Amino acid sequence: MKKQAARFTIRRFPIRTPKALYHLGMRKRPLSLKTLALALTSILFVSLLSTSCGQNQGDGKQLTLAVNAGVEGDALKQAARDYEAQTGVRINIVEFPYSNLFDKELVDLTAGTGAYDLIMLDDPWFPRFGGEGFLTDLTPLYQKKNLSGPDDDFVQTSLALCRHPYQTGTLYALPYLGNSQLFFYRKDIFEKHGLKEPATWDDVLGSARIITEREAQGAPGGGRLYGYVMRAAQGNAAVADFMPIFWAFGAEMFDAEGRPTVNSAEGISALRFMLELGKSAPPGYSSFNADEVSAHLLQGTAAMSINWPAWIAAFSDPAKSKVIGKIGFATMPGAKKPGQAEIGNWLIAIPRSARNPDAAFDFLVWVTSAEQLKRSALRGNPPTRRSVFNDPELVAKFPTYPVQLRSLETSRPRPRTPRWNEIENAFGIFLSKANSGELSPEEAMNQANAEILKIVERK
Amino acid sequence: MGTERTLPFLLLAPTMLVLLALSIYPLVYAVRVSLQTGASARWSLDNFTRLFSDAFFQSALLHTLVYALMALTCELLLGLGLALLLNHEMRARSLFRAALLVPMMLPPVVVGVVWRLALNPNFGAVNGTLKSLGVNTESLTWTASPRLAFLSVVAVDVWQWTPFVFLILLAGLQAIPQEPYEAARMDGSSAWQTFRFITLPLLKPAILIVLLLRTMDLLRVFDQIFILTEGGPGFATETVSLYIYRAAFRFGNFGYAAAMSFVLLVITNAISLVYIRLLQKQESR
Repeated sequence: MKKQAARFTIRRFPIRTPKALYHLGMRKRPLSLKTLALALTSILFVSLLSTSCGQNQGDGKQLTLAVNAGVEGDALKQAARDYEAQTGVRINIVEFPYSNLFDKELVDLTAGTGAYDLIMLDDPWFPRFGGEGFLTDLTPLYQKKNLSGPDDDFVQTSLALCRHPYQTGTLYALPYLGNSQLFFYRKDIFEKHGLKEPATWDDVLGSARIITEREAQGAPGGGRLYGYVMRAAQGNAAVADFMPIFWAFGAEMFDAEGRPTVNSAEGISALRFMLELGKSAPPGYSSFNADEVSAHLLQGTAAMSINWPAWIAAFSDPAKSKVIGKIGFATMPGAKKPGQAEIGNWLIAIPRSARNPDAAFDFLVWVTSAEQLKRSALRGNPPTRRSVFNDPELVAKFPTYPVQLRSLETSRPRPRTPRWNEIENAFGIFLSKANSGELSPEEAMNQANAEILKIVERK
Repeated sequence: MGTERTLPFLLLAPTMLVLLALSIYPLVYAVRVSLQTGASARWSLDNFTRLFSDAFFQSALLHTLVYALMALTCELLLGLGLALLLNHEMRARSLFRAALLVPMMLPPVVVGVVWRLALNPNFGAVNGTLKSLGVNTESLTWTASPRLAFLSVVAVDVWQWTPFVFLILLAGLQAIPQEPYEAARMDGSSAWQTFRFITLPLLKPAILIVLLLRTMDLLRVFDQIFILTEGGPGFATETVSLYIYRAAFRFGNFGYAAAMSFVLLVITNAISLVYIRLLQKQESR
């Protein structure tokens, strides 16, 4: 009796096929629900299995490339198309926005899935990827071609980033895109008030104060033209815009033993200076990221800023810019020490788990050749070779190249540590807290130092 | 006769397999990851003990709880008010109802972007409007000062999710039979008494359900805040989900992220259980 009730009785409910089908003679008898359900579930399951197994297998003629979605990745994508046409090697491009690229690559590298033959990486990620042995050593691949290594034309500060340990170690990547920060300022406004191109941070502060005061209605809409604008949002933004000041003031993030020293007297006075400069910045700058800073420069509501060369093109775009031809470019101002920009290069590396390291290396050498880097430069990406920076055709097209090369050659990398993302995050939080008035410069730097120490010491 | 018995299993097998692969396995894997530390994946409770000394985690947890409490209170009060208002016959009622649901249908990411633009202190629509009304907006840096930024992210959540609360409470209101109201009218009860002794008790199941769903959502809030402030300025709007994301995908510390996820899971479950108990009590009465 009980057993009877528990029995599965689905069979007793046949599905009635629509009458129309009978008329079409398509079905002779009703389809039972049982058959239908079984058919549907098996189709579902098989299709699920087939999609999850549908990964490509390397056959030597195919490369998969992970690139950054944006202007940097676009040039590489176009180069890949050219390479396909020339050599017949098929190249799959997998594109991720900057904010996801690191985690996608990290997951692939840690799991060793071999999903990518080549990865494009931002240089601060390199100590992590290189240090954990995730990448292919390029020297043996050079030796296979009877070469000892990369040629001398690469900018030395760029190539140094590709070695682990920094500058001296094993070569795990090649530099593709040679960014370093530049100092942007409004030439017209500086001339108007008889100001000189700033050589020191004190010049910057003095000029910023004068401009903010005198240009109360100086912006295109009649609003205030602020003397200086910077990114002070927590994380990468605040740290990148602070480092040139920090270094120029003679501060260092770590001592020789690798212990953090951000709360040194120099460090605190650098942060105090940043806050002073912030008084000549648009309100709310402590939450600014790249978008806001670029909006202020393009709208003509701020007169000076530090930024990356990728922005230069927008200044002469009539659709975006109200300041066409009015922006001057300079290398970083100094203070106690000569000014140094932060370097920010895009590198290309071959994961250790890559399926086709040899084919990948051929592409890597080809795409970082002077000829290809010139093409990439014409597509808007600063090169990593001196000969390309000095190319007369390119200098005519990009008059800022000489300044960019000078800035790049004297630039400085972010501290080379595999935990940089975490350290930068913590440091950025305290910089942002100081800029939003939550903490005094001393408190911010002391707390930042303690937090960085915790990160460094953690096993 | 074999099929009679095996059919149910055959039918359930694919679902079970998919469930096993997509939820059970990752969960077990997450437990394992959370119990391993360092490059050598040594077994230890380090990830859990670290939670007690991590000031970032603790303040993220505090933010999450305060955020949930503030948003929940506002959403419930506003949603209830709106539901009561639109439960009456009035002109263009369906238009109001439809318009109210728009924010809820937007993806949180879009909401984040829209509000980020609107709240920009210099170019944003909010300060633009205030300025044209003659308000001095100099100090109204919505996402840049720690206090205002926190209120801003709460306000955006309220803006987006009050409609959801409203919708469920309205459905609850419409399910209440008319008879008690008629009886109350006969007895000459005041509007407040009717609300307090008839509407509220009969609406309690709907309120509890909405509280349950919103609490679970609020405790794991990520998208809008990530877009709107990315946890800043400083750490002012960082929630646990954001911090978990950072630990896992920015710092590559999956073990610690998994440990934090478990803590969040336990908290969410504990709070949800309270609601569910209350609901069951309600139903058994």
